[in-house]
Formats: sequence, structure tokens, C-alpha cells
Amino acid sequence: MAALAVLSVACAGTVIARAGAPGARPSPEAQSRAPQAASAAAPRLAPQPAATLTQYCVTCHNARLKTGGFVIDPASLGAVGPSAEAWEKVVHKLRSRSMPPAGAPRPAQAVLDAAASALEGALDREAAARPQLGRLPLVHRLSRTEYQHAIRDLLALDALPKEVSVDFLLPADNISSGFDNIAELLFVSPSAMERYLDAARKISRVAVGDPSMPVMVNIHRLDPEHPQDERVEDLPYGTRGGLSVRSEFPVDATYAFKVELAAGAAREAHEIELTIDGRRVAAETIGGGAGRRGGAAAPPEFRVPLTAGPKLVGVSFVQHTEARDEATLRPRMRSRGTQPAIASVTISGPYDVTGPGDSPSRRRVFVCRPASAADEAPCARRILSTLARRAYRRPVAEADLQDLMPFFTAGRAEAGFDRGIQRALERMLVSAHFLFRMERVPPGTPPGAAFRVADVDLASRLSFFVWSSIPDDELLDAAVAGRLRDPLVLDRQVRRMLADPRAAALATNVASQWLYLRDIEAKLPDEILFPDFDETLRRAFRRETELFVESVLREDRGVVELLTADYTFLNERLARHYGIPNVKGSHFRRVTLPPGSVRGGLLGQGSILTITSYSTRTSPVLRGKWVLENLLSSPPPPPPPNVPSLDTSAAEPEKAMTMREAMARHRANPACASCHVRMDPIGFAMENFDAVGRWRDTDGGSPIDASGVLPDGTAFTGMPGLKQQLLRQQDQFVATVAERLLMYALGRNLQYFDAPAVRAVVRDAGPRHTFASLVAAVVKSRPFQMRQAGSE
Amino acid sequence: MFITKRALPRRTFLRGMGATLALPLLDAMVPALTAQARPTPRFGFIYIANGVIQNQWTPATTGAGFELTPILQPFAAVRDRINVLSGLSHLQADTFGDGTGDHPRSSAVWLTGVHAYDRSRPGVEVKLATTVDQIIARRVGQTSRVPSIELSVDYPLQSACDSGDCFYVNTVSWRNETTPNPTETHPRLVFDRLFGDGGSAATREARAKAEGSILDSLGAELRRVTGTLGPGDTAKLGEYLESVREVERRIQHSESQPVEIELPERPTDIPDSFEAHTRLMFDLQALAFRADVTRVFSLIMSRELSSRTFASIGVPEQHHAVSHHRNDPELIMKKAKIDILQAQLCAYFLERLQAAPDGDGTLLDHSLILYGGGMGDGNLHRHSDLPTLMAGGLGGAFKTGRHLSYPQDTPMANLLLTILDKAGTPLDRLGDSTQPLSL
Repeated sequence: MAALAVLSVACAGTVIARAGAPGARPSPEAQSRAPQAASAAAPRLAPQPAATLTQYCVTCHNARLKTGGFVIDPASLGAVGPSAEAWEKVVHKLRSRSMPPAGAPRPAQAVLDAAASALEGALDREAAARPQLGRLPLVHRLSRTEYQHAIRDLLALDALPKEVSVDFLLPADNISSGFDNIAELLFVSPSAMERYLDAARKISRVAVGDPSMPVMVNIHRLDPEHPQDERVEDLPYGTRGGLSVRSEFPVDATYAFKVELAAGAAREAHEIELTIDGRRVAAETIGGGAGRRGGAAAPPEFRVPLTAGPKLVGVSFVQHTEARDEATLRPRMRSRGTQPAIASVTISGPYDVTGPGDSPSRRRVFVCRPASAADEAPCARRILSTLARRAYRRPVAEADLQDLMPFFTAGRAEAGFDRGIQRALERMLVSAHFLFRMERVPPGTPPGAAFRVADVDLASRLSFFVWSSIPDDELLDAAVAGRLRDPLVLDRQVRRMLADPRAAALATNVASQWLYLRDIEAKLPDEILFPDFDETLRRAFRRETELFVESVLREDRGVVELLTADYTFLNERLARHYGIPNVKGSHFRRVTLPPGSVRGGLLGQGSILTITSYSTRTSPVLRGKWVLENLLSSPPPPPPPNVPSLDTSAAEPEKAMTMREAMARHRANPACASCHVRMDPIGFAMENFDAVGRWRDTDGGSPIDASGVLPDGTAFTGMPGLKQQLLRQQDQFVATVAERLLMYALGRNLQYFDAPAVRAVVRDAGPRHTFASLVAAVVKSRPFQMRQAGSE
Repeated sequence: MFITKRALPRRTFLRGMGATLALPLLDAMVPALTAQARPTPRFGFIYIANGVIQNQWTPATTGAGFELTPILQPFAAVRDRINVLSGLSHLQADTFGDGTGDHPRSSAVWLTGVHAYDRSRPGVEVKLATTVDQIIARRVGQTSRVPSIELSVDYPLQSACDSGDCFYVNTVSWRNETTPNPTETHPRLVFDRLFGDGGSAATREARAKAEGSILDSLGAELRRVTGTLGPGDTAKLGEYLESVREVERRIQHSESQPVEIELPERPTDIPDSFEAHTRLMFDLQALAFRADVTRVFSLIMSRELSSRTFASIGVPEQHHAVSHHRNDPELIMKKAKIDILQAQLCAYFLERLQAAPDGDGTLLDHSLILYGGGMGDGNLHRHSDLPTLMAGGLGGAFKTGRHLSYPQDTPMANLLLTILDKAGTPLDRLGDSTQPLSL
């Protein structure tokens, strides 16, 4: 009777006891009720797990109490299929340890885990018997990133000039849960169509080296907050500031490089030099009365003849060894020092074209040259077949060539063989076969039936997953030969692709999309409070996380190392920010952290710590939410309506109270408490890092209190304590990585019926859960290899 | 007016000159239009985000001769050509238990009156409604070169939104219930869309011909492919085919109606200030109206959740952050400064239209410009008492120069219904409309 009273109070939704309450252990009374409940429960589920669920879940979530609006019918434990959605929710709550809630009776974790495992087993068996593969459109437009990579791999164009870069030419895609390749959100509209047409024309002209192409004006601006007192990576030693740009020069011609200086003319002379692929090709002295413009700080313009192809352009100052660098002259504020700085470099051209040249893209396109007029059409067919097979990612049919050849013929008549190829290529780049991944349902497939996707479609799924790009010849050949069905061949292809440089796309996308790393670009830490935050630091943050994620992928490390690694990637600027000595120079290198360092793993990285902060202060709530959502896949529900969330404003916290006090007051509201008891302790543990990720021992004069208590009563302190807690839940973390990878691989949001596939991925990945093994397991998974026929 | 390839000196010069320089230039570029029997109607929808400081927006008195409040003061020069409407609400943007996406729902509801469901919840699919600008464009835009253009001064949001559904804040224009129109931010792309990317008339003609044949061939390809895929969702392919046809139509129009205006130089870059960028977008749009290149546009002057800062007017904080002022007088003052700046820029555009002769009146006389947003009180995320200003008489369809106050929570969709009616595209209902608004 006493136990029932406790339970009904707990069910009312008010948290009556927190951490360390006696309710955290099962009471003898509660346990004694178990057999009774079990008699009504599932034949399929072993009696003990069923009893656990009935006792600890159904006691509140029943048709009478309807606690939290969630009702479980214990009778459905007999056949979980029809209630799979509800039961998956139960599994999730148990696995994320968010249920039973604080204050309610709670058995030993092992008892709950056993119940969860039994439930998962039943759900997995159900899914195997009646697979649900979700609704994935047959037609999936390439995202802007995929288009860009496809162009790179199809045409050997990896550094399109800014004016014809894909980012400029095509509209940005929309994001869902961080990912930009969600089929449903890849919209098509007439204005996008116009942009595709435009992109096809411009890119095809660059690819073939069209001598009649119009002059391009590519302006490269340097951020005013980017200090120019150090050598820029990729530029020669002995230089400072400026910029390096990798850019395609489409034809053999003269190109102009116009330099604009930032305000702050120099009294002394400074030499600006232009380098191409590291070789100095021009230089000019400005200021100091030495220049040919009589000492005015007039910006130089260099005109240089160049051969076609990609080149690394460098514009920088020759270092004055006697000049004091900016950092010693002033505390690092967000402005440039007294030395002149480059504001922008405008690369324009081509002028005085001498010929199409011999660029990598021309070599990729022109796989033959016609020896005679009679040879032209056959050679064109060969060129276009080769390109179309890669662009359309399947064997080429005669119908494809019939679409393309008229454009060759028209262009040939107008201005010769090359123009003909360019026109046909332009046509190819707007073909639905290029712009869309289209999968076919085999004729005669009954509605709703699951079937294996065609081998060439699987090849595309694989290459867009691992490379964000089109398959290469080897992968496509294996698919066309029917060898991709062989699990060993498939696995070998996955390993090969992961080892390829193109797999950097996977690491970058995972880092920038799953972890919301690209939010760092929009962060504007307050200038007064964080004077040493600048563009160099912003870039360093991003680079560190990208290199780190890529290292876990490339070195076949377990994904748990994303949380625990004892190394990171630093340059001097970042090391200074972190207080790590003896790292010199602007280039990034792997640094093994000393034992007990606070920096190992994602949570110690400036990027993550900054994107989860406001511009003037840290936010334990944002940090807690970020961890729950992105590392444990257990996001708190949105705040209840009409409660203005204190923390959406970036205004200064109430000065009279510490952050911790203000938040304790917020948690006193029961409507807020149920979620904040989960978020806040995680955020508190990270409080030793300020809003730009610097270590601190005090905040506003008060010492930092980095202790917290989880809803289940576990107390912990600081980053080491938090990591320990996360490691306790590492299965949940691995499942989260698997879930995000599967979502990204499929290009759709996951639903409850995908949970069995996520569990299968975790199982198949083996005990070490390496990044690569998770990727391979996603590729083997049922939703990746199969599709369900639609009903229409 | 236009940023040219002679970048710095001219830009500096122009910034100093401000708005006054632009008009004579504009007039010089457009040949005198012959008097028309019936003026061509033009429509613009200008969105401002994160609500306004309502007690500095809403005039105290109604009717003609209403008093201009601090935020409306910039409209003084065109006050007899505008109507301020208060009391209108878009309650379909309320949460309905559907998560935190108050900002995404604000932009989604503005021209639809429809609740935007949180798609990040499992099983919810993209579904909104055709927006008013598109309904109108389908009629009045079909005979112009570009049926409608969608602009935004802010770049689309590429990171986390309240609810995960960023696409709702990135546009206020939906082609149909599943397809939002992307927006153009870069002035050069806007220029290219409206006027072609330079070159001689002969080059443009050759281009149109080449693109025409590509579209022709592509249409045939799509018709061949559609239907061979088997049962399943091939909607995107249908949208692609529809887009091909639409662009084909545009090219045919542009061939039959060459733009006989002297074009300014193509802008090369995004101006470095918000003010200059917005003015340039308006300059291009005014030119497009004059040359009758397009008759319908939407422009997002500020995007919901915008984190833009306004150091030039003493607001170094982010727009969205300032809008949650929590009744802090300093933050209220700062949000009002942003509201005033936006009003000044809108007024700049209206004055341009007012100064441009068009038939028997001015461009503004024959236009309808709706200026406002889907959030009233940005601090509390309320969708009541929305900032709403209409400018232009649409060729006598609307009487102007008044402040009209409606009963609290009159559906904003009622106003949209009235606009559709006057535009010659009447509907019985739109979103949660109850009846046309009398004004």
C-alpha cells in the first residue's frame, strides 16, 4: 500500500525526489508485486523482463493514469508488432536511462538493461519477419555538395574559379537535423532550373577550355579580423599575411591580379609578391617612396601569362625581419596592426587567349582526338559515352547518345569539334540522369514488397555515402559485372573507398553536419569579453575538429575515441589558446596530450565549446542539450508553450546571481525541471571552459563549481567526471553514431521502425566499433541495400 | 547606384552620395514609356523578422492624418501613399503543441495563413501552401520575362533552427504546397536573372536559342524517363519537368520581348554594408519594375532568427538576441533602431517608385507593396498585432493615407484575401481567412 502511494505521487509528473533518493533502489514491496503482473504478460517475452516493464513502466503509463500522455498496453507485449512505435520509445527511454524518472522506484540497472534487451529482441524479430524500409523517394536530387564533388570527379575540376564555383552558382540546400542530403528537402523549382542551366554552360566551358569564354572577375576578400602578421599556410616561408587561393585557369592566357590594400598606409616600404605554385612571378614595392607610383600606397596590378590548369596563387608581403610583429605591439585585438594588410585580391581573365592549353580537365574530357573529319563523330561518341557513363553512373544506352549527339553536331557546325563537345557536355550536366539519383522498381514487384536495389544503384548509394560523389570506374565496373552482390567484394570496396582521399567528405560532413560544426561560422563572441577571438582562431577551431574526426576514421579507431582520445591537432595559435606549450607555427600537427589533460576528445575542443555558448557567456543548458541530442540521441523535448525560454536571449545574465543560482531558480518550476535536471548537470560539468573554450577557474570572481548530479542520483565533477558518465553510456553513444550515419547514408530522417536496423549496425560493427566498421555495417544494413515498392 | 568593376573609388563615392544620385541615373536608363491605356499592376512583398517594438510602430490615432510613430517616421515622404493596418494576427503560427519553431512558422504563415508543421518530427512531411505572391504571379506575371523573383538580403540559414526546419525561414515564397522558392542574395545573380549576364544582344539571343534547344531536348528526356521507374515517389521528377517548361516559357517571352533599356554595369560583389546591399536590391527591383521585366517580387529584408549585427547604428548585438529584450529598456531601444533602419530602407524603395512616372501616375500608384512580418512581439513570440503596412494604390484599387485599426486578432489572411481579389486572382478562402478585409 505504501509503495502504491509513492508510485501514484511519482506518476503525477512532479519530481518529488532527486538524486540519491531511496527510490533509486527497488523497494521490496514493489518487487513483491511483480509475479502477479507477469501472469498477465507476454508469452513471447521471458516472464522476468515482462514483469519489469509492467511494474516499472505500466504502473504509471496505463490507460487510467496516462502519465505524460503515454500509455502502454501490457497485453501488446504478446505481439510487439502493432505497438512497435510505443515499445521502441520504451527501449529508448530505458537505454538513455531517462526512465523510470527520478523519484520513482527504479530497479538495478542490470534489471532494466535485461528488460530493454528482451524488448529489443522481440522488436528485431518482428522487423526481420515484416521489414519496414521507410518512404524513400525514387528520385533524389544531388545536393550542392554532391554536385560539386561530382563535377570534380567527372571533369577533373577541383578548384573552379569563384565566379563559376558551385557554391556561387547553385542555391544552398536546406538542412534537416544537421544534414543537407535529405531527399525530401532537395527541392526543385524554375529558379533552381535556371541556375542549373547557367552552371552547366559555365562549367562546361571551363572544362573544355573554351578560348571564347568571357572574362571572369573573381574577388577574394580577406576578413578584416584576420591578422596578417603571420605566414599563411601554403605560402612561402619569409612571407606574411595575404592569401593563398587554389584556382583553375581555364585556358592559356594572360590573367590580371589586382591587389587592394586595407586602410593604414605604410610609411616604410613593403614588398608585395605574387607566387604561382610557390614560384615568385611578380613583385612590387609599395609605400616608403620606393614604388613606381611615387610612394603612394597604390595597389599593384600584376598581369601574368599562365598556362591552363589549376594553380596555387599566393599574394603576400615579404617579411620584414626587423618589423615587430603585431602580437608584441599590442594585445591581440580584432584589428590589424600598423603594417599594411591586403584587403582583397581580384583575379580576372582570361585576356589575350593563346589557346585551350593542356589542363587536367581537357585531358579527362578528350579521351580521343579526331584524326580526320570522318573520325569526328565516332570520337565524339567515345568522349560522350565515357563521360556519360560516369555522370549517369550506369552503362550508357543508345538513347543517351541520341540526346547528346545533336548538341555535338550543332556546336561542331558553329565553331568546331571542341565547341561540339562543350555543347553536348552542357546538355549532359542538366540531364535528369546526372542531377538525380533515380532508382528503379523491378517490373512486377507487388506494392509494398521489399527488394534489393539494382547493383548500379547500390554503387551510387555507396559512393554518395562515402565520397559525396559519383562512383569511380572500379566501383561501377564491379556493379555492372554483378560482383557487388558478393559481400566480400562489397566489403573490400567499402574499405578501399574509405582509404581514398575522397572519403574526407564523409569525415567533413559528419563533423560539420552531425556535430553542427558549421555553426561556428555564425558565432560572434563579444569583442570586449573575448578580445582574442578572431578569424584565425575560428578557422583553427574548425580545422582541429575536422582533422580529429578524420583521424578517427582514417586510423580505424573506435568511435568512442571521439570522446576520450589523448591527442588532438593544434597549431601555435590554438595551442596558445589552450595553454599548451611548445607548439610553433601556423601549420596543424598531431599533438599527444599529457595525461590528465582537459582537452582530449570532442568536448574539450574550442569548436564545440563555442557553438554551445552565447556571445557573452557560456550556457550550461545549450551544452547539456547538445550532448544529450548529439552524443546520446536523447534530446530533451521542446520547452512547454508560452514559457519564454530564458536562454534564447544572449543578454547578460542577471548579475546579482551566479549562473548556477539563476538556473536553480529556473528548475524550481516543475514544468522546466523535468528536462533541466538532465541538461543542466552536463552543462555544469563543462563550466571550466568559457564561451570561447578557454580554461577558467573563476567566473565573475566566483570559483567555478563544476559538480552535478544526474537524475539517477549519480554525482560527478568536471570534464573527467562527465567523460566517465558518457563512457558508462557508451552503447548509447555508439548507437547515436550509427543512427546519424544511417540517416546520412539514406538521405532521410529515421523513424521508430529503423531502430532494429540501427541495432543491427551496432552489432555488425564488431566489439571495437571503429568508424570504418560502422560505415561498413551501414552499407550491409537492410535499409541501405533494399527498398520497398511504393503503392501507387 | 551599381557596384562596378571599378570597385573602390566609385563605391566610396556612391556611399557618400546616398540615395539622391540613383534616380536620374535610373531615368536615363529607361526609355520614356509610352502612355498606357491601363497601367500594369505590380506587387512586392517585403518581409521583416523577429517582430517589432509594437508601441513604437502602431499609431495612436486612426484614419487619415494619423500621427507617424518613431518607427513609421521614415515613411513621412510617402505617407499619403501608405496604409498602416493594426490588429491583424496570424494565429496559425501559434505552436499548437508543435514545438519551438515560432520563427519558422512566422515566415511560413505570412503569405499563406497556414500552420507549418514541424517536419523534423517522425512521419511529418513538407506541406505548406502556395503563397499569395505566387498565386498573383501565375496570372499577372505570365506575360513578363520573369514571372516572379524571390530575393533575400540575408543568406539562408544553414545551421540549426528552432525546430530543425530551416527551410521555413529561408523563403516567404512557396510555388506550391511542397516547393519553397529559393532566394537570391547576390546582386550579380539578381542582375543576371532579371537582365541576363551582360554581353551583346546577339550573344543573349544566341544563348536563348541554345538554352531553348537544351530545354526542348530535356523535356523529351524527362517525358521518356517518367513512368519507367515503377511505382514510387517520383514527384521531384515531375517538378523538374514543370520547371523545364516554365523556363522554356520564360525564354520564349524574353525572345519575343527584348528589354529595350540601357543596362547599368553588372554588380560584381555584395556591398559590404547591410544598408548598401538592401538599397542595391531595391534599385535592381525598381529597374525591373520600370522595364516590366518582372511584376512580382518578394524580398526578405531580415530573415527570422537573423544573427546580423548593426554596428553602424549602434547595435553591435545580434538581431534575434536583441528582439528578446525582456523589457530591458536598452535592448528595446536597440530593437527599435533596427526597426527604424528597416523602415528607412523600405521608404527608400517606395520613394523610388513614387518618383518614377508610369502612365498617368507613378510606379507606386500602380503597385501594391506589402511590408511586414509574421511575428508581432518578438520578445514573447506572439503572432498577434503584426506589423503590417501597405503602400501604393494598385491603380486606384486601394485608398491610401490611413491608419486602419481592426478588432484584435482579425485574421491577417483576410487582408491577403482582399489583395488577391484586387489583383484579379480571387479565392474563396486562404488559410484561416474568414472574409475579405474591408479597407
